[in-house]
Amino acid sequence: MAADGGSSSLGLPCVFSPKSRQYLALCAQDGRLRIWNTDSKTLHQEYVPSAHLSATCTCIAWGPCRTVKEGPQRKKRKSEAGQPEERADLLAMGTAAGSVLIYSTAKGALHCTLDGGHSGGVNSVQWHPEDSLLYSGSADTHIIEWDLQTGKTRCKWKADRAAVTSLCVSPDGKLLLSAGHIIKMWDLETKEIYRKFTGHSTAVRTLRFATTRPPDSNGLYFLSGAEHDRLLSVWQVREDGNDKNSVVSFTLTDEPQHIDLSTSTSKEEVRKLAVVCKDGQLHLFEHFLNGPCKKPLSPSCSVQMAGTQDSPVPVPLLAAALGTDTGTVLLAYGNHLQPVMERVVSDINTAERHICLTRDVQTTLSLSMETAVSKVKTPIVNAKSRVLVPGLPGHQAPIKGTSQGSEKRKKGTDTKEMSIEERLGEIDLSTVSSVKGAPKGTPSLQTDNFAVLLVQGLESSDAGILNKVFQTRKDAVIKKTVSRLPLPAVLPLVEEVRARLYFGVAVLMVRWLKAVLMHHTSYLSSLPDLVTQLGVLYHMIESRVRMFHKLTKLHGKLYLLMTQVATSDSSNTVTDVDHTAKLVYEEGKWSPSFLWRCCGWPCSTRPPLERRHFDAVTICNLKKKKKYTYQNSEASAPPPIAVPAR
Amino acid sequence: MASFKPTKIQVYPKLGEKVTQDTLYWKNYKAPVQIKEFGAVTNIDFSPVAPHNYAVTAFTRIHIYGPFSQEPVKSFTRFKDTAYCGRFRSDGQLLVAGCEDSVVRLFDVSGKVALRMFKGHTKAVRVTDFTSDRYHILTGSDDYTCRLWDIPNSTELTSYQEHTDYIRCGITSKLNRDLFITGSYDHTLKLFDARVNKSVMTMDHGQPVESLLLYPSEGLLVSAGGRYVKVWDLLKGGQPLVSLKNHHKTVTCLCLSSNGQRLLSASLDRHVKVYNTTNYKVVHNFDYAASILSLGLAPDDESIVVGMTNGILSIKHRKSSEETKEISGQQKRRPAYRVFVKGKNYVPKQDDYLVSKPVKQHLAKYDKQLKRFNVSKALDTALETWTRFRKPEITVAVIKELDRRGTLKNALAGRDERGLSQLLNFLVGNLVDPRFAPVLVPATEMILDIYQSVIGQSPVVDVQLQRLQDLLEREIGYQQDLLEVLGMLDTMAKMNTSPLTPHPPT
Repeated sequence: MAADGGSSSLGLPCVFSPKSRQYLALCAQDGRLRIWNTDSKTLHQEYVPSAHLSATCTCIAWGPCRTVKEGPQRKKRKSEAGQPEERADLLAMGTAAGSVLIYSTAKGALHCTLDGGHSGGVNSVQWHPEDSLLYSGSADTHIIEWDLQTGKTRCKWKADRAAVTSLCVSPDGKLLLSAGHIIKMWDLETKEIYRKFTGHSTAVRTLRFATTRPPDSNGLYFLSGAEHDRLLSVWQVREDGNDKNSVVSFTLTDEPQHIDLSTSTSKEEVRKLAVVCKDGQLHLFEHFLNGPCKKPLSPSCSVQMAGTQDSPVPVPLLAAALGTDTGTVLLAYGNHLQPVMERVVSDINTAERHICLTRDVQTTLSLSMETAVSKVKTPIVNAKSRVLVPGLPGHQAPIKGTSQGSEKRKKGTDTKEMSIEERLGEIDLSTVSSVKGAPKGTPSLQTDNFAVLLVQGLESSDAGILNKVFQTRKDAVIKKTVSRLPLPAVLPLVEEVRARLYFGVAVLMVRWLKAVLMHHTSYLSSLPDLVTQLGVLYHMIESRVRMFHKLTKLHGKLYLLMTQVATSDSSNTVTDVDHTAKLVYEEGKWSPSFLWRCCGWPCSTRPPLERRHFDAVTICNLKKKKKYTYQNSEASAPPPIAVPAR
Repeated sequence: MASFKPTKIQVYPKLGEKVTQDTLYWKNYKAPVQIKEFGAVTNIDFSPVAPHNYAVTAFTRIHIYGPFSQEPVKSFTRFKDTAYCGRFRSDGQLLVAGCEDSVVRLFDVSGKVALRMFKGHTKAVRVTDFTSDRYHILTGSDDYTCRLWDIPNSTELTSYQEHTDYIRCGITSKLNRDLFITGSYDHTLKLFDARVNKSVMTMDHGQPVESLLLYPSEGLLVSAGGRYVKVWDLLKGGQPLVSLKNHHKTVTCLCLSSNGQRLLSASLDRHVKVYNTTNYKVVHNFDYAASILSLGLAPDDESIVVGMTNGILSIKHRKSSEETKEISGQQKRRPAYRVFVKGKNYVPKQDDYLVSKPVKQHLAKYDKQLKRFNVSKALDTALETWTRFRKPEITVAVIKELDRRGTLKNALAGRDERGLSQLLNFLVGNLVDPRFAPVLVPATEMILDIYQSVIGQSPVVDVQLQRLQDLLEREIGYQQDLLEVLGMLDTMAKMNTSPLTPHPPT
């Protein structure tokens, strides 16, 4: 099986050995290759390439697991030869100078160097799963197939117009994926293009086959992730060639740096995917690969690491590997020079979507620094001096000697590089604080933003922004916003409020108006043409409050009536019982009040006394229905509670 | 016999935005057609010749759309990287475009492969344009240089390295083949003359310059950068005339309407503003869904094309004259004009004996009922659903007229549940309107007097009354606030005027 697909040349290469995950190969900033044992969490081997400063290692790939006895490198140390179990042995390292180094962990030494193939830096190396072949893709746009038995190039072909940034060999060893901006699928027997996939606009850094090639050939999936791209795309290779677009995409928080995919045998099994992003977060996904899915999938779980200091700083994750038994994840985090490895039992199905693990990394780091740096003298660097860092010989951009400077590698790319979003966020904040004259204390960000928003909305009379601002109901927010408003925006605000007094939520607008008048009294009263400026507003308000007296009176009247109804309603239910049975009809003797009482009506709510032209039928009807309903009365010709016209 | 005087309907001034000639003109566009491009649309250029196709530069492609097509009629895809600034030559035959890979390509509009490739810049070329003699090309690049190229033998003629930052916009004179202007992120605009080897005029915009525009007379130059749009007088040696700040984000594109009377500016704040070029006031405003990068206006303002950051190209076509007529189709069914003037334009001769015929008075329905003293019915008519919602002033006028006659009480009385709730509904809607309140408040009091004895018998009416009460409560609170504001204003006016004039302002 091909080695782990995390051989990104952007970040520092960091790869787990296949199958057992026993080793973690890591090439740190100092150009040395370190192999860590993940079980004992100790340094297993360290190797310093002879040209580690001029030609740094850009990518690493573990060779396929094999029993050390067989294979091309037969003559091994005797102690190793006796071991029967399969174990990872060979490591291929691509360098920025164009050579490929093969390192043997069994020997603990460089096995051979593959030279003279590439004229540009090697961006990706991949092993063939069965044959002793190695593929390397380079910035010189070529792919080379190396024969490891002879150490010579077996085949070399131009793969792309631009640099080949990523490679991946299919699990059955028949197909090869290569990518610059366009992903190409090669038939390895004929070295011809089998398929092309377009969709990424930046260099593809991660390629990974997700499935082995099934017999029906519609179920072949692979993953791709590109530089500066926060999506991981899944592509389906279809028989009918109808595979122009990616079928699924996974959303990430940053560019993917290291991915691991659970191996599966059956199609129905859920596939687990662990992605470590450039910002040091780990995202775990679960998905059935069964055809297209429109929406980008969000992670089922995100894991972050934090230190245990008073103000916890995030600890970047370097790599993650899914354990063979479900539910465990092997994490490597911390510094590249001294990574910490840990096997975490992570139940991905927990309800928590974000997990933050706190680990005391600081102590281990500082300890390791002491031991690691003991022999190295740190040069005293002047702040103005330029630090040349390992990379391409004669690289263009010297980097300033900041604290992060040593982390930077070729072309100024950096693992700690901020995403565009973060950068924009910082710019935004800095401009806001400069515009507002850097308010003292700790201003709540909310109101500050509101003032800026309001000014923007007034400047361009953007209805959307203004609506958003004016809809706030918090008095404190309104006051703060208005008090932070720059003076030139005050009159436009008054004008806007005036226009909205008619149409908008007038009650809220008055609050704004009051706030403006209170906070900018001196400014407004200093205006020479105040009367003309505010005259319209004044007249408008005057016309509105002209009816204040009458409205208040009306309100009082209505209020009284409504409360009366409420009290009589409660009494109504009691009196109802008493009066219903008391009807005695005597010819010529009835009086209206008596009649009403016999119908079960309390005196307070009966119809006016003017209505006296009852006849017996109406009374009977009333008696039957007991309640005087409007719906029924509509049917009868005269409206029953009508006051006769004068 | 005195004739019946129809109810006088008070005419209230219409509130809201004033409808001007400009609003009518700029609103007369159909719903936009939206086309998704592959990436952010960075440039739109209309062909100067008849079918007026337009070239849309987006991502690594240039698509050419016909005036009414929604599919590209032609596309140029031979770019290795992001393409920029695809512009037509004045005869509409050639198209030039820059590219992120620093190569300038010249295309035949009918062909597919680049006719010429101009190599020489070292960084992305963001500006390309043809000079007015059609044989030269102006380019401006991120390597701070602008160059002139000869088309026939594809050689570089001159290179100017005067800007100190990226050159992101440039324009050639349409009248003089040697003059061109470039704008750069170093905040300056420079006017170059190809006959001399340095710039002849430099203007400081104060912000990174994003777009340039020359008036047809070429006396005035408009530049956009930052949030400002500035107008410069070239004939007075680059004197700034106007500085406009009507956007809250960077202005990215400028355009002039066909008659040269209106200036359009598009910005990242998703607005397109239309300015009057005589007083530079904003006369209209378009809103779009995303930040705007490019704007194009077809000749005769036939369509407005806008390209946005999310790759959407939005095209608004002007409504054709037939469609505008269709709206007024209802009027067409009315009798012809001659029906009305029939016999009216007869000029009596000298011997004719004139018999005067009383003019038939046309009365509205409620007026007819009022004339017959059917006060209740008149009020019912005025409370019909359409009138109640669309023309509340009619309803109010009828109520006022009834009040004047002293028959309002009769009209209001004798209503069943439905009628009463309708009436209350109208009051809830209009009682607090300051225009109607003087009439409606006494009417409401009257209603309460009449129906106070039946309150509590019908849930429907009770709900309406409860709504009315809530409304009044809110309105009273609101007016109290307003009175406070009034007090504040009074104080402020006093503070303002007291040192100067002894008497308070009115």
